[in-house]
Amino acid sequence: MDIAAEHRLRNDLAETRRIGGWVEEFAQRAQLPREVQNAIDLALVEAVTNVISYAWADTREHWVTICFHASADEVRIEVCDDGREFNPLTVPLVDTAAPLESRKPGGLGVHMMRELMDAVEHRREVGRNVLTMIKRLPKH
Amino acid sequence: MPITKKALPDGLELFVSGRVDGAAANELEIQVLEAIRTGAKTVYVNLADATFLCSAGLRVLLQYWRQMKGAGRSLLVANPSPEVNSVLTMTGFRDQMVEGT
Repeated sequence: MDIAAEHRLRNDLAETRRIGGWVEEFAQRAQLPREVQNAIDLALVEAVTNVISYAWADTREHWVTICFHASADEVRIEVCDDGREFNPLTVPLVDTAAPLESRKPGGLGVHMMRELMDAVEHRREVGRNVLTMIKRLPKH
Repeated sequence: MPITKKALPDGLELFVSGRVDGAAANELEIQVLEAIRTGAKTVYVNLADATFLCSAGLRVLLQYWRQMKGAGRSLLVANPSPEVNSVLTMTGFRDQMVEGT
């Protein structure tokens, strides 16, 4: 049976603290393995942090919508915002083999999203960014 | 995210537990800076009870790992939990930053 959930949060970084609880609740309903829950939790915090940090130039209130959907084979998470067009997949790749002394500060969040998820896609849809992250579930 | 401290013969150990998210990373930075100001030769960040580490926490670790190294001192991660160890490994931090690796 498919399981779905939707949540909204304001464009305030303190709001990202709510994500862990939402992921935990969804993981329990969908009976996701712990490692899948942890991966979704971290990837989602990174994705939403990026949106809140870069999507809007003004100081007005905006909303980020998170949709979860679990089927027998995969979990699909969509993060939607009405901010400026921003595709995190255009962020340069991090060279994780490079010495820490020469590392540039940015890109770690997007790197982890790519590593933790099986697929990450961005599209622009009617003035909104839609970031889709897919985590395939282990076969029973 | 509670942080407690313990003095060691060669420095100071910070015990960090729970979720190291963006807000907690700011608190971690304050505590690391305080530890550096005590003149500790080595600051150990013990992450045995940390259940989550995001890129904001990694940035704090990286910034002060570099600063301490540049000053001939060191900042090291001690006893990372499995969740944190996985993050340190996937970002290439583990081999250079974790004590005893």
